[in-house]
Amino acid sequence: MADTSDLTARQIRRMKRFDNPWRNPKLMWGASLLLGIIALGLLGRLFWNLDLVFTGSAPLKLPPVGFENLRRQEGVWDHPLGTDGSGRDMLSLLIIGAPNSLMVGVLASLIGMSVGIFLGFSAGFLKGRVDDVIRVLSDVMITIPPLLILVVFQAAYGDVSLTMMAILIACFVWQSPTRLIRAQVLSMRESGYVQMARLSGASTLHIMFREMLPNLVPYLFGSFIANVTTSIVTAVGLEVLGLGPQRVPTLGRAIYEAINSGALIQNLWWWWGIPTILLAVMFIGLLLINLGLDEVSNPRLRKL
Amino acid sequence: MTILDIRNVSIDFPTSRGVVHAVSDFSLSIPQGRRIGFIGESGSGKTTTALAAMRMLASPGYVSAGEIHLHSLGRTNVLEISDEEMRRVRLKKISYIPQGAMNSLNPVMRIENQIWDGIVAHEGAVEQAELQRRSRAVLASVGLPEHVGSLYPHELSGGMKQRVCIAIGVCLEPDLIIADEPTSALDVITQRQVMQTLRDVQGKIGAGLILIGHDMGLMAQSVDDLAVMRLGKLVEFGPVRQILENPQQAYTRELISSVPLVGGESFIQSTPEVLRGPPGPLLQFESVTKRYGALTALHPLSFTLDGEVPKIISVVGQSGSGKSTMGSLMLGFTPPTGGRVLFRGQDINRLSAAEQLGFRKDVQAVFQDPYACFNPFYRVDHALKFPFRRFGLAQSQAHVQSAMEEACHAVGLDPALVLRRYPHQLSGGQRQRLIVARALMLSPKLLIADEPVSMVDASLRATILKNIHDLKDKHGISILYITHDLATAYHVSDFVMVLYHGHVVEAGPPKDVIGAPQHPYTRLLIDSIPWPDVSRDWGAAEDGQRGLDALSDADVARPALRGTIPGFDLTVGA
Repeated sequence: MADTSDLTARQIRRMKRFDNPWRNPKLMWGASLLLGIIALGLLGRLFWNLDLVFTGSAPLKLPPVGFENLRRQEGVWDHPLGTDGSGRDMLSLLIIGAPNSLMVGVLASLIGMSVGIFLGFSAGFLKGRVDDVIRVLSDVMITIPPLLILVVFQAAYGDVSLTMMAILIACFVWQSPTRLIRAQVLSMRESGYVQMARLSGASTLHIMFREMLPNLVPYLFGSFIANVTTSIVTAVGLEVLGLGPQRVPTLGRAIYEAINSGALIQNLWWWWGIPTILLAVMFIGLLLINLGLDEVSNPRLRKL
Repeated sequence: MTILDIRNVSIDFPTSRGVVHAVSDFSLSIPQGRRIGFIGESGSGKTTTALAAMRMLASPGYVSAGEIHLHSLGRTNVLEISDEEMRRVRLKKISYIPQGAMNSLNPVMRIENQIWDGIVAHEGAVEQAELQRRSRAVLASVGLPEHVGSLYPHELSGGMKQRVCIAIGVCLEPDLIIADEPTSALDVITQRQVMQTLRDVQGKIGAGLILIGHDMGLMAQSVDDLAVMRLGKLVEFGPVRQILENPQQAYTRELISSVPLVGGESFIQSTPEVLRGPPGPLLQFESVTKRYGALTALHPLSFTLDGEVPKIISVVGQSGSGKSTMGSLMLGFTPPTGGRVLFRGQDINRLSAAEQLGFRKDVQAVFQDPYACFNPFYRVDHALKFPFRRFGLAQSQAHVQSAMEEACHAVGLDPALVLRRYPHQLSGGQRQRLIVARALMLSPKLLIADEPVSMVDASLRATILKNIHDLKDKHGISILYITHDLATAYHVSDFVMVLYHGHVVEAGPPKDVIGAPQHPYTRLLIDSIPWPDVSRDWGAAEDGQRGLDALSDADVARPALRGTIPGFDLTVGA
């Protein structure tokens, strides 16, 4: 019944995009931005001298190549992105710091999602008391501002490791996946295919993980990415306040030190500017992935 | 006078696999005050054509050729006017009554506000008192009381919501009303009320009517002219009497003959060789009751179904009569409030895990909605393979494959065309037959078929019911057939129970119960069936309601038991 003769090649190409929703331009752009940051970390470790990240390993406050600082010093190729106020090479700082920031976000989000999936399924499936407790708990947790508690906690605790920080942040990102999954599970358990699975003698675990979970994947992905963003924002917020890991380079820590050493007044823009740009790239990448996933799971948003 | 003139219209849907010609070269004129039916299977282009006249085609579809003229717009082509002009045409000149009224009303707005919306959108500011007067008048014209205006949609029944949709559609007295399967989700009694209401208002305001549907009986009772469509083409057009009594095209004849009738020839051929099971009671209800809060869904009921000679027991009734609750009780999905449900002498709600698995294998179901029964994530094979393996029937990979193919052949499907596909690639009819094939592979002892054909095209119903009937004869499976369609129950079943508000009001062999009903409720159900016969009138709009109102408690408490059949004993009451 269909014939292709009266369509231009361009029209066909545009519509081919619908056949495989995962080949979504937004998704691809977002993924390549994030992969770029990961590649920076990997390639940097191979091709750059990471010892330059230690204090005093380089001249102080050198600008990036092609710029001059207030002391009329020119940037040198030994330190292409310049150095900071205590003589650390900016490039090696970024090579170590940027993946660290991303890692905290992903780890916190992974932990949060796992807890969310577990609690969401429990609430949706077991109903009754369990559901009430989980629902009230997640609703209450949503109203508590995470930064406030984390600031108090970290100030008391002092130095923490990256993993510890991820775990602390994860305590505040499990609520929304819990609510999302609970709602989906409640509507899905009445659906025809779940009834069919029950008729087929399927165990509860089979119904949860083999029948329901695959259909939740688009939601889970979207929620995961949104959580990564929130976690990175929280982590960077703590670091910029001077909390969080003290001895591990992160983007937020670099910004904190820049502000603390008067980089703004001394016009040392590369010190705080370049980490900020990398953070922006990270957030734009995550946002694009989230928008792309939205279009994948909701075909009505796709435009011809 | 012609209201709407569709001339040589073609509608295309560009897709990545090429252009789909949904409608090709379609011409039709609709005269004032006349009712035209568009009939055809799903995918025949009937809704698409009607939506093109309202310029509401779903993207990316477009009208590739032809013109549509609306008389009140003079010589202008509807397809060429601006969006703003088109907005003024919608509802004012052509109104559209959608298929699922449940989803068409705004759940957070009162009914009268939703009626006022349309009036204000077309006439600007109108005084509150005037709006009140008009919404009351239009609600009265569809037979709804005044207070309905101040209610929210969730407070109304399905039939009332559909009538509200009609009220919104006629409140500006349009020239043409397009009704897209307005009764497809309703049971026979409500269907009759809604259809007759629609006919009455349409006659009162003198508008033309396009009724879209796939039920020949409904068409015969509701329209003047009938347009038969197939694959986007007009197959036959003429007065409904001529089409029913003297169809010219083979396809039209096929559509007409696919409607099962009460009485007359059966579309089922019984095989004298029936596979027998072991003797002894298969399923027993021991004064089973089900209450949801204050509402009693099922009043005490006892029966024993013997498993030796497989039988089909039909349970018929309106929506809300408790028939689906009965199915759910038998499957063990809901525990009874009182009494016990026994399968082979064991209480199904007190089974151990191992017994539970055995029970699941022996009692299977076919549900109403073939679209929801497949997990969209998996290929359809999953639904067939999984239980087969789970119940330990599979011997090897090849054995599973051959069993699936055999089951597909048995229900008339070509395995090469359906297996290894995703559910959304199959039609509703194919999916429902696959579910029957699934039941067949497991060879259960009892099958609960809950409205198995109400969501498939009329032309496919007979085939699927034949498949189900074969399960009984060839595979020795007893079947509980839950339906609101008395005509099919008449043909396939060995015993019929009529349910009303959780009471069995009439029961017995189908030839007695449906062929010569004694209880007023059964009579009402049968009178509400739309016959594909123009001379057999359907009665007035209020007959249905009057009939229900006349049913006294005494009638309900006095069931008409019309004899028994061997192997099935029924006791009503505690």
